[in-house]
Amino acid sequence: MLSPGTLTAVMLLTVVVGTTAALLAWRERREPGAVPLTAMSAGQVWWSVFFVLEHRADTLAAKAFYSDVQWVGVVVIPVAWLLFALEYTGRDRYVRPRYVALLSVVPVVTVALAATNDYHDLLYLDTELVTEGGRQVLDRVGGPWYWVVTGYTYLLGLLGSIPLLGLVRSDSLPFRGQSLGLLVGTLAPWASNVLFLAGAVPVPSLDPTPVFFAVSGVAYLGAITRFRLLGTSPSANHRARRLVFERMREGAVVVDRHDYVVDMNEQAAAILDVEPRDVLGEPAAEVIPRYEHLPEEGRSSRHLTLGEGLRSRQYDVTVTAVADFHGRSLGGVISFHDVSDHLRRQQRLEVLNRVLRHNIRTETNLIYGNADLIDAEGAHVEAVKDGAMRIEAISDKARDVIDIFERGRQSGRSLTLSAVLEECVEAVREDHPSVAVDLEVDPGDDPADGTAVSVSPVLTSVLMNVVENAAEHNDSADPWVGVRATCADEGVEIRVADNGPGISDHERAALERGNETPLEHGSGLGLWLIAWGTELADGDLTIDDREGGGTVVTVRVPRIASEGE
Amino acid sequence: MSHEPTYAPEEGGATGRRSRIVDLLTTYGERAGNALVYSSAYLAAIAMTEVAIAMVLLSLPPNPAPVVVGLVTFAVYTNDRVADADTDAVSDPDRSAFVRRHRGTLYLLASVAYGLAVAISVLGGPVALAVTLLPGAFWVAYAADWVPNLAPRLRRLKEVLVVNSLVVALAWATTVTALPVAFTDAAVTPATAVVFAYFLLRSFVDTEIPNVGDVEADRATDVATLPVAFGVPATRRALYCVDLFTVGLVGVAASTGVLRAGPAVALGVGVAYSLVVTGLLGRADDDAVALASECEYLVVAAALVGPLLIA
Repeated sequence: MLSPGTLTAVMLLTVVVGTTAALLAWRERREPGAVPLTAMSAGQVWWSVFFVLEHRADTLAAKAFYSDVQWVGVVVIPVAWLLFALEYTGRDRYVRPRYVALLSVVPVVTVALAATNDYHDLLYLDTELVTEGGRQVLDRVGGPWYWVVTGYTYLLGLLGSIPLLGLVRSDSLPFRGQSLGLLVGTLAPWASNVLFLAGAVPVPSLDPTPVFFAVSGVAYLGAITRFRLLGTSPSANHRARRLVFERMREGAVVVDRHDYVVDMNEQAAAILDVEPRDVLGEPAAEVIPRYEHLPEEGRSSRHLTLGEGLRSRQYDVTVTAVADFHGRSLGGVISFHDVSDHLRRQQRLEVLNRVLRHNIRTETNLIYGNADLIDAEGAHVEAVKDGAMRIEAISDKARDVIDIFERGRQSGRSLTLSAVLEECVEAVREDHPSVAVDLEVDPGDDPADGTAVSVSPVLTSVLMNVVENAAEHNDSADPWVGVRATCADEGVEIRVADNGPGISDHERAALERGNETPLEHGSGLGLWLIAWGTELADGDLTIDDREGGGTVVTVRVPRIASEGE
Repeated sequence: MSHEPTYAPEEGGATGRRSRIVDLLTTYGERAGNALVYSSAYLAAIAMTEVAIAMVLLSLPPNPAPVVVGLVTFAVYTNDRVADADTDAVSDPDRSAFVRRHRGTLYLLASVAYGLAVAISVLGGPVALAVTLLPGAFWVAYAADWVPNLAPRLRRLKEVLVVNSLVVALAWATTVTALPVAFTDAAVTPATAVVFAYFLLRSFVDTEIPNVGDVEADRATDVATLPVAFGVPATRRALYCVDLFTVGLVGVAASTGVLRAGPAVALGVGVAYSLVVTGLLGRADDDAVALASECEYLVVAAALVGPLLIA
């Protein structure tokens, strides 16, 4: 058991630590939670100070007076604790004068009853001096209001701890440290008070709660200095998450595990053309069209079309399951991503595809066929036929581009590297027999010359164009194209070198910029096809001058899992 | 390879070491001096001396009052300097730079000091506690700018001639006199009133002397002080009058037996020192004169203790 001197020393230490904590918190009074924390520390100091005065007083009247005055500090603590927890965790909408006044009713009544207890005995039924441990201490028997204020104190303490407990599991070390420091600092005196109420303390008449405020002060100071309490606060988190939900471009509807709508953002309300207050609490099936066809989790296989005619919009609908800590389902979030513009662009491409694939090709063949029938000089007829052939070549290239886009959307398909290389090289050798086309494969750890290496099917069009360009435009006396593929663990590098005239700077500049202008543009679609195809295959492309003349085009693409894997 | 002693480099080395030691001592001494002056720690020491003088004058037994007053003085003045660090940048750039550099540490030290003062004052009972808590209440209110909101007239006291210095002097005299009395449960006697009046007069002088150096700043902020209102020579004369009034008070107290002869002489020595310092007003460096004025209590303490040591 503590000697009187030691007890006083401990209490004074509590006062030092509490006062320091209060002043440090007051300095940060513009930070969320700082003012309630100051009030809480001041309450603790008040309680401790008058506890010492009670302890050192000689008469029953003086001890009882100081004991009654302690209530001012005692009742401030739980109210300040709850307000602190609310402000600190960003729930400051509850920290309004009317709520503070409401929370202060019981404390004010308590202080009033303490001051007038002699007339009603509501707070204390009996007060007397008893000798315990060789010294005289005050022994008071709690009245009905004593238990009311005790229950109220514990209730506010519990309510304040709940939001802070959420921070203990935070990913942020400072917030975990802060909340742990605060919880330890608050639980220590409360635990000692529980022991006092249960009669499990060495001196039954001596409430050790203020003594444990030394622990609180140290914990709070630790949270302030070590974990930057009031310097870094999570109060923005709560609001920010809500703000992200409200302002996100996608519509989002939250449903509970029984498929009732419990929340939705403004965007979702606009998409579904509903008023949130009308549909919250309603069955989701009545609010979201085709709700019953949505998957349990993941993206819906079909787009959701809302509205009619030209004003209709299409949405990708995704369901994200929400589960609690133990993995039990709590409901889900249904998000609506507007894909109308994307689909419209796709439709336009399909129309262009049809025009290129069918109309231009047909008309070009018609021009070519009729040119033979024209009664004119041979050179003019040949010029018309060459022109028609070039139009057809461009339309073929455009079709290839559209094919690449189409293949790029079909994820999961793959071809072996050896098949791609052989197809390209063979085709170019056939079309350009005068050009020597060398193929070399460095298989890396693949013993079968690239047959076990899978790549995106888009690579076929890309390589075909690279090799063909190198051969077609090669005006060297001894035209040559070298294709060298090197396999590595993470990807494949295909290097196509030639001894031709090289690629002009303005063509390369357009590729590097990523767009063309009316004045600065390429001569056709070939290079764009190579660049877009490489991009679709998640690869990268470099074009360099070859030492001794010509160009080196290097395409690097990742290996992908083959269809059988 | 030569093994002959090479005295010259060793001598040079010894000189170098001495020089480094001197440099180190100078550097750290200067830093310690700056810390003492800029952090207001020296004011705390002077305040403790004041309480010790009051205890001797009132024949009070040893008690923690000087420590409490020292801690409170340190806390309040340090907090004041931390709060005004930015506005002091023009009038006292060195102090402002020091305070800004150690702002966090100084505030923490001030908080701990005030916490210690409150804790110790609890041992003196509720009156001692109340006297100690009062500066803290002003600390909180001033920092929150509550004073102008709640009491515009109170705020304007700072601008009223004589009243501003009188309020500060009153606060000092009350703390220095009341706290040791409260700690020892001593009765309030005529001697208590004389000691209170003595510290009131001395603190008034101590408050007006630094105003001579702040004439421009006070004029700019409409704060009326003696040098602003009447000029430095008139201030000097007014403070001579206060000094002489103090001499009269001490003389009457000694002649009527309220004060013993020894302490009365020591107070007289202090006032004589003050007359010299007041005479330097406007004729020497303002900061040096202000510092010298604050050291009056050290002179009184020396005059009180000196004869005892000699005996």
